[in-house]
Amino acid sequence: MTPRAATAPADRLDKQLVPEPRTAILVGNPNVGKSVLFGALTGKYVTVSNYPGTTVEVTRGHATIEGRAWNVMDTPGTNGLTPMSEDEQATRDILLREVGYACLQVCDTKNLRRGLLLTVQLAEAGVPFLLALNMADEAASRGIHVDVEALAKSLGVDVVPTVAVERKGLAQLQAALPAARPSSFAVRYDPAIEEGLAEVVPLLPPGGGLAPRAVALMLLAGDDSLDGRIAGLPAEARERVAEARRRVSARYPESLRFVISKQRLAAVDRLHDAVVTRGARSAGSDFGKRLGAWSTHPIWGVPILAAVLLAAYEFVGVLGARVAVDFMEYKVFYDRLVPWTQAAVRWLVPWQAAQRFLVGPAGVPFREHDGFLVGRYGLFSMGLSYGMAIVLPIVATFFVAFSVLEDSGYLPRLAVMVNKLFKRMGLNGKAVLPMVLGLGCDTMATMTARIMETRKERIIVTLLLALAIPCSAQMAVILAMAASLSPGALAWFGGALLGTLVLVGWLAAKVLPGRGSDFVLELPPLRIPQAGNVAVKTLARIEWYLREALPLFLVGTLLLWGLDRVGGLVVLQRVAAPVVVGVLHLPKEAALAFILGFLRRDYAAAGLFLHYEPFIRAGTLTREMQIQITVALVTLTLFIPCIANFFMIVKERGWKTGLAIAGFIVPFAVGVGATVNVLMRWLY
Amino acid sequence: MQERKIEELLETVFTEREKGRDDAAGVLARAGDHAEGKSEADFAELEAMGLLRRDGARVALTGEGERRARGVVRRHRLAERLLKDLLDVAEGAMESQACEFEHSLSAEVTDSVCTLLGHPPTCPHGEPIPPGPCCGTTQRTLRPLVTGLPHFEMGATGRIVFIAPKFHDRMDRLAALGVIPGSTVRLHQRSPSYVIELGETTIALDPEIAGEIFVKRI
Repeated sequence: MTPRAATAPADRLDKQLVPEPRTAILVGNPNVGKSVLFGALTGKYVTVSNYPGTTVEVTRGHATIEGRAWNVMDTPGTNGLTPMSEDEQATRDILLREVGYACLQVCDTKNLRRGLLLTVQLAEAGVPFLLALNMADEAASRGIHVDVEALAKSLGVDVVPTVAVERKGLAQLQAALPAARPSSFAVRYDPAIEEGLAEVVPLLPPGGGLAPRAVALMLLAGDDSLDGRIAGLPAEARERVAEARRRVSARYPESLRFVISKQRLAAVDRLHDAVVTRGARSAGSDFGKRLGAWSTHPIWGVPILAAVLLAAYEFVGVLGARVAVDFMEYKVFYDRLVPWTQAAVRWLVPWQAAQRFLVGPAGVPFREHDGFLVGRYGLFSMGLSYGMAIVLPIVATFFVAFSVLEDSGYLPRLAVMVNKLFKRMGLNGKAVLPMVLGLGCDTMATMTARIMETRKERIIVTLLLALAIPCSAQMAVILAMAASLSPGALAWFGGALLGTLVLVGWLAAKVLPGRGSDFVLELPPLRIPQAGNVAVKTLARIEWYLREALPLFLVGTLLLWGLDRVGGLVVLQRVAAPVVVGVLHLPKEAALAFILGFLRRDYAAAGLFLHYEPFIRAGTLTREMQIQITVALVTLTLFIPCIANFFMIVKERGWKTGLAIAGFIVPFAVGVGATVNVLMRWLY
Repeated sequence: MQERKIEELLETVFTEREKGRDDAAGVLARAGDHAEGKSEADFAELEAMGLLRRDGARVALTGEGERRARGVVRRHRLAERLLKDLLDVAEGAMESQACEFEHSLSAEVTDSVCTLLGHPPTCPHGEPIPPGPCCGTTQRTLRPLVTGLPHFEMGATGRIVFIAPKFHDRMDRLAALGVIPGSTVRLHQRSPSYVIELGETTIALDPEIAGEIFVKRI
């Protein structure tokens, strides 16, 4: 059979020239090894993830298959073509919009039933495709045997067993790809639904990536995401579609979408039972299975959770945030790069005035002048050193830990363990991911709030991150100061933060409209992560950080430098002083710390630390100072996040939400600080 | 007035009220086949029997009328569940049979059916089933045939008989993962979240959603 060719007219004229590259689109359920197969096909590795929602971006690569150039696209995991989430909609829209492609469906052989549910939808859609039965080895070890030939015959497309991680079956797959063709398999629905389809199909315009029958089914099922597509229809046709839908739905007590899924699944079950035989399972994978069960156990799950978190803390909090940051900040930046930059500028720029502007007067320590590149708020000495020397080591170690957890399949289990706690805050267990990431960097974490399904949940996550999750830059200084506090004062600090987190989450869940999403989460099997995968994934994410977050740190520094130049900082300090001194009973130096905190979070706590350092060293902290430090720490932690985080909130949630969140946090943080101040003076 | 006709009219007043309507004409128009020869005069008669109050064109149930109406609705909707989910009777036949059962089932048999089905909260159309004396009691003389996942035996295998979700899109989400009536599931754990296994797929669920999935042991 000849595949539909994606040839431009120009190509047809000069047949001798290199043919236009064809497009292959990979689709499949989540966690079936799609991305690994993509990597094997294209030679370029991309993010593989166990967590629903991580592969939001579509990845493209190039491959040469059978002497021809191919563009290969990897899509987010999906369970069907009638989308339930943003990810699934992205995949469906790609199939709908692209033309002349060959589709490669990847499925988990162990879980063929779910794979086939997607297969029959591809068949319905008339998409030319072939089926890769991935993880064939795991299925065999579990005694699952699939009659490949019978399956290929029933579907009318090529079926190839593969083991993507070992590149097994890759050659057969590449050989079969150009011959991808529409499947002959068709699901017959109830007469009522078929009648509805017969009425809707002729109304739809021909063309587009999906067959009219598939689009008609989606329309009958009430798929709102297709509204754009039928908007082009004449009003009368649209009315007839709506009418057919009303009439068919009236025949069933359940939603039509559910009835369609149910009948489709019944057809899949028949096909599945005809080609799959189950033998005795070998004991090989049992340990992984048992460990998986322990990790969500109400009792055994807790020590496992504690061990995982402790290991992650040792790696990120100690190795990343202390050892690596110390090295990068002092050894690399302040001792070497900053002086080198200064020297280079003095050597390259001949004019005295320009030199002064860029790197300050000679002989003055950079923290005491206002140079543009190197200076107190210099773009290089502050902005870049912050982004590269403090945040980068932390997020890099964090990404390594995160990738290991992700590849091992533990992350969704972690969500299971903490689901109850997050339910109280109007969220569900999935929210643990951005929250834990927030302990690394709130700016990055704000971006990952996307994994939450509803708008309401995303806003709550963003708010809680900005409010009550101290990032690692801040955490290091907070921990240093906290070490000087008495256990009682520490308890006040921790209690105030946790109390705020839960209380604000709970209140936000009550106040914000909409409902939380349901916690229905697939738990992939536990696996030992592959070092290569972790490395490539971490690199891809670091690249993402450098591209998305680092510029924001530079913009923040630029603003701070400008403010300092025009004397704005002094004005702000004077405005803030009455609140800081009058309401919070803190020394007036703290006002500057708060303002700096907005521009660079660790500076705020660091400023305070310097103020109290002599007393801490001498061990002469009075009760008054203990209270002051506690109040300052509470307020600073809750206080508006750094400017990069604020920009990220605006970027992700829009100006209105960004300003609303800021407008809530500033007075609220001061309010909590004042409350802690009053209560501590009375009770502590 | 015939017993059936009384029940039919009371039931209609009840179901109309669920939809937020209480005008006598509407009740009369929508009352089922068993209320033969229905007319405005029937309401006067019901009022005289102490089952109904009339206020102009509007009708409302008295305490006694309410009790009887709940019984009819309960029998009707339980019968629908029994016929549709357990006996797999088609929609049309289910409706007409349920209309028969609602008048003939004794209180004892009704409670047995309710227990057998695991005290379902809603009928297949999603309307609430008024709870009876059997619901919520811990004493179980009859072993239920169908139970919600929270009462299902840990580690046992069962077939999903019906799902009674609070929100419709939940069904769709579950269906995408293969969790639909007819699927075979194994309950793996209850806390901190429910974990079920369908073939090689492991799924974690909120307790709330688990309570909406009713299974039959196989």
